[in-house]
Amino acid sequence: MTGQDPPAARPADDPEERDPGMARERTSLAWLRTAISFAALGGTMLKANIVTGAIIIAVAPVVWQLGRVSRSRSGLDELPRVGATRLFAIAIAIVVVSLLALVVAIFGPADPGALSRR
Amino acid sequence: MNRVHRSWRSRLSDLLPHRVTQDADGTDPDPRFTFANERTFLAWSRTALALVVAGLAVVQLLPPFPGVPAGRHLLGLPLIALGAVVAVVAYVEWVRSQRAMRRGEPLPGSVMPWILSFAIAGMAVAAAAVLLASALR
Repeated sequence: MTGQDPPAARPADDPEERDPGMARERTSLAWLRTAISFAALGGTMLKANIVTGAIIIAVAPVVWQLGRVSRSRSGLDELPRVGATRLFAIAIAIVVVSLLALVVAIFGPADPGALSRR
Repeated sequence: MNRVHRSWRSRLSDLLPHRVTQDADGTDPDPRFTFANERTFLAWSRTALALVVAGLAVVQLLPPFPGVPAGRHLLGLPLIALGAVVAVVAYVEWVRSQRAMRRGEPLPGSVMPWILSFAIAGMAVAAAAVLLASALR
């Protein structure tokens, strides 16, 4: 990590010490899962309110792109700096989406017995 | 630590992304730690979204509780609100961890286990109460 050991003399035990590529990939996959979660929420919302559901589903690719753009373009040095805005955006998006969900849950049409119907 | 004397307003403004970006104290941590911190935030974000989905499903899909007309809203709406709270706390803790890593300080503790365990216990009690009221009506 500190680069004090000559790499030829003692190769790093942890593959990630040579390349943070795996950490990068795990993070990229985490972004993908988060995007899928947004889409899943949008899909649930579709049943109650088509417009709201479609809007939330449209957010999913944006979330995925947020994760990808930062990975491919910025150097590792800038990571914490580009990170703050993106994560702030995600947090705000979830707050907005849950407010939408509250409105839909309170005023939207409920489907009594949707689970018990055969 | 002069942090004790700072007003809540300046503490709040420290959470804004441009303030985090301008943070010049300390040095950038190992990229792997930055990645790990980001993944932790994303995992909490998915938890928040799952809570919203669960709350929405309770209100929209569950059959009504006989005798407790407000039962589904009583159980579903707090879950949705909890999702918003978890998302905000996740961001605050991400900022705190990132700041601590820059300065080489020990990582701050997380309040998330506390929030989640009390919320889930509360939800369990509320669900039991609604079911009981419905059964005893």
